[in-house]
Amino acid sequence: MKIEIQNLSFQYGSHQVLDGVTFSVSPGKFVGIIGPNGSGKTTLLKVLSRILQPTGGSVTIGGQPLAQFTQKELARTMAVVSQDTNIGYQFTVEDVVLMGRAPYLGRFQSESLEDYEIVRQALEVTGCSHLRERSITELSGGERQRVIIARALAQQPKVLLLDEPTSHLDIGYQQEILDLVKRLSTVEGLTVVAVLHDLNLAAYFCHELVLLHRGRIVACGQPTEVLTADNIEKVYATRVLVTPHPVFGTPQISLLPGTQTDNNNSETYRIHVIAGGGSGGEIMRDLRDAGFMVTAGVLSVGDSDWEAARALNIPVVSEAPFSPVSAERHQENLALLATAQAVVLAEIPLGHGNLLNLEAALQAAADGKPVYVIEEKPAQKRDFTGGPGQLLLTKVKQQGQLIRDKTALYRALAERFPSGGKFDDFTDLTRAAVDQ
Amino acid sequence: MKRNQKFLLYTILLAVLVVSVIMATAIGAVAIPPQETFQIIISRLTGLWQNSEIPSTTKAIIWNLRLPRVLLGVLVGASLALAGVSFQGLLRNPLADPFTIGVSSGAAVGATIAILVQQTYHTGFTQMIPFSAFAGALIAMFFIYNLARIGGQVPVVTLLLAGVVVSSFLSAVISLLMVFAGEDMQGIFFWLSGGLLMRSWSEILFVLPYLLIGSVILFTYARDLNVLLMGEEAALTLGVNVERTKKVLLVTASMITAAAVSVSGMIGFVGLIIPHAVRMITGPDHRVLLPASALVGASFLVWADVVARTVMIPKEIPVGIITAFVGAPFFIYLLRKKKSEIRL
Repeated sequence: MKIEIQNLSFQYGSHQVLDGVTFSVSPGKFVGIIGPNGSGKTTLLKVLSRILQPTGGSVTIGGQPLAQFTQKELARTMAVVSQDTNIGYQFTVEDVVLMGRAPYLGRFQSESLEDYEIVRQALEVTGCSHLRERSITELSGGERQRVIIARALAQQPKVLLLDEPTSHLDIGYQQEILDLVKRLSTVEGLTVVAVLHDLNLAAYFCHELVLLHRGRIVACGQPTEVLTADNIEKVYATRVLVTPHPVFGTPQISLLPGTQTDNNNSETYRIHVIAGGGSGGEIMRDLRDAGFMVTAGVLSVGDSDWEAARALNIPVVSEAPFSPVSAERHQENLALLATAQAVVLAEIPLGHGNLLNLEAALQAAADGKPVYVIEEKPAQKRDFTGGPGQLLLTKVKQQGQLIRDKTALYRALAERFPSGGKFDDFTDLTRAAVDQ
Repeated sequence: MKRNQKFLLYTILLAVLVVSVIMATAIGAVAIPPQETFQIIISRLTGLWQNSEIPSTTKAIIWNLRLPRVLLGVLVGASLALAGVSFQGLLRNPLADPFTIGVSSGAAVGATIAILVQQTYHTGFTQMIPFSAFAGALIAMFFIYNLARIGGQVPVVTLLLAGVVVSSFLSAVISLLMVFAGEDMQGIFFWLSGGLLMRSWSEILFVLPYLLIGSVILFTYARDLNVLLMGEEAALTLGVNVERTKKVLLVTASMITAAAVSVSGMIGFVGLIIPHAVRMITGPDHRVLLPASALVGASFLVWADVVARTVMIPKEIPVGIITAFVGAPFFIYLLRKKKSEIRL
């Protein structure tokens, strides 16, 4: 059944919890409602389940206004799995699931064999058949959650609403429950609306997402459209990295802790990092955290160091993915290098495509800039040019300063720029590391 | 519970009740053999099995004095237990009983006033105490209900609080009235302690309709009571009209309580412990719990009354004292035995 939500609002005292929420859910779709705490997710679900009365707007289910359903009709159309599934009374699992048949029974009617059969199926679908005789109070959180979903299924609803169905469960159960819910929507044609707090699970399981913030819809649509770094940063006030799921390609959100604020307060010292293939992400972060201004380049779009630079808000000279460094980008890079106070050459893989980056480092060294060349392991293994790469690297090493590892780099920089940023912390840190 | 388990349970409980009634009628200051008692009752009811050897005084003792008293015990015990189950389920609170909600305090005030008026003006209206008590109970219920109501809804917590507050206020009123009562204090005290002394068939006819109609209503709402135990929001989504159900159950259970209290005074603990004890056997399903509690409550009060009237012959102890003496330790036993598991 189609759910249509028009300009829905809900006020709690003077607090506007929902404000002009409009979206619709097509039959058989699994829609996730996401948003930070207090964004109105649960309230929205409660208004949809008619536990709360909206102060404005309308909800229709299958074309019929929500307010016009009788309580029993509504329970036959829509089942709700709330966040709190704790039941303090020693009903057996079967008794609890049997309560899902209540909306179908008259006051003087008792459950028929058909009702028991429906309950049996609901228990089977949710994998609870073996729990039938157990007391609901003895079950684990995950088992109880499944029993409550079984009860919802016993209502034979067209619409299923779930409020954080996985909030108390470990990841195995989370996946199991959401797998079940997704199967119900795709196989049984159930229309599902679920409040979810885990963005990755939401992205993976839901057909569509609704992102709420302060009672309003910020974005709505396919997970790839809704879960952009911009949207999440705006709503959750934290910096994240959105990458495709390594196997399925759905958006995956990684947190970037400690990157909420920009920390470029010592602009006098700018360090340019030449990295690639994951060799420079950590260095860029550490330098930035120490208070340096950091630039990077040339990096291919999509390279993990490129992602890191972007996530850290570091200006970067970007090249198209899988393309060699072009002359224009090389010039841009040289321009950046010319104004930097120091250059760090990370342990980049040496390929024909990025030899220009080595040229740039050599140029900087020739101009008298301090060039720190990190070499923890011999460069032989990361040379894919069959010789020229290493040859060029040796020249850079001769002109610049060879550095054993990151710790040594930080110490060298600390000595070179004693007044830059949070230098003192750095030297302490590095000395401690050296002492060890 | 399985169908055959339920059948067995009801059979046992019913048999226990019937035997209790006959035994309790037979026991007394004048001992009458149980089979003779049984014969008198049967012959009186059906006109058959007459026995002219039994003296008419014995027949009168059985039919006019003891049987009404025992049967009133049955009705009051069943009423209090039913009301207790309903309140505990409705309020989802294991400490709720017919007295928590304050209805009985209203009855007590009504009865106290009636006793004072009767002693002062010697009205010929013998049924004044139950009627006045009943009126007091209804007024209290109406008052508490409206006090607890917030915008058409009756939240459980406000209801409990309103009940407790009104109860303690009315207790103060009773204490004040007792100060003025002087020599009538013992009458009031006896009524407040609860008892079935000097009750006749007319009290039975007074209570019976409330118990019959009330239990029919409660039984038809048994499934809703079960669903309510899932929480009010869950009950809504399972198709229960929560506010209406609460109102119906509240009024019904209060009426049953009011009727019972107005003829028997304040008999405590029956409505509290019987539901708990029965729930341990039947589980929380109200479709079994309600009838089973009614049967157990009835038998329990019948035996409590036997003790009350025989333990200190010729003196009588108010039965409320017996139920408290038995009930409180039993409740403590349940609490210790099940510890954390005292739940509905």
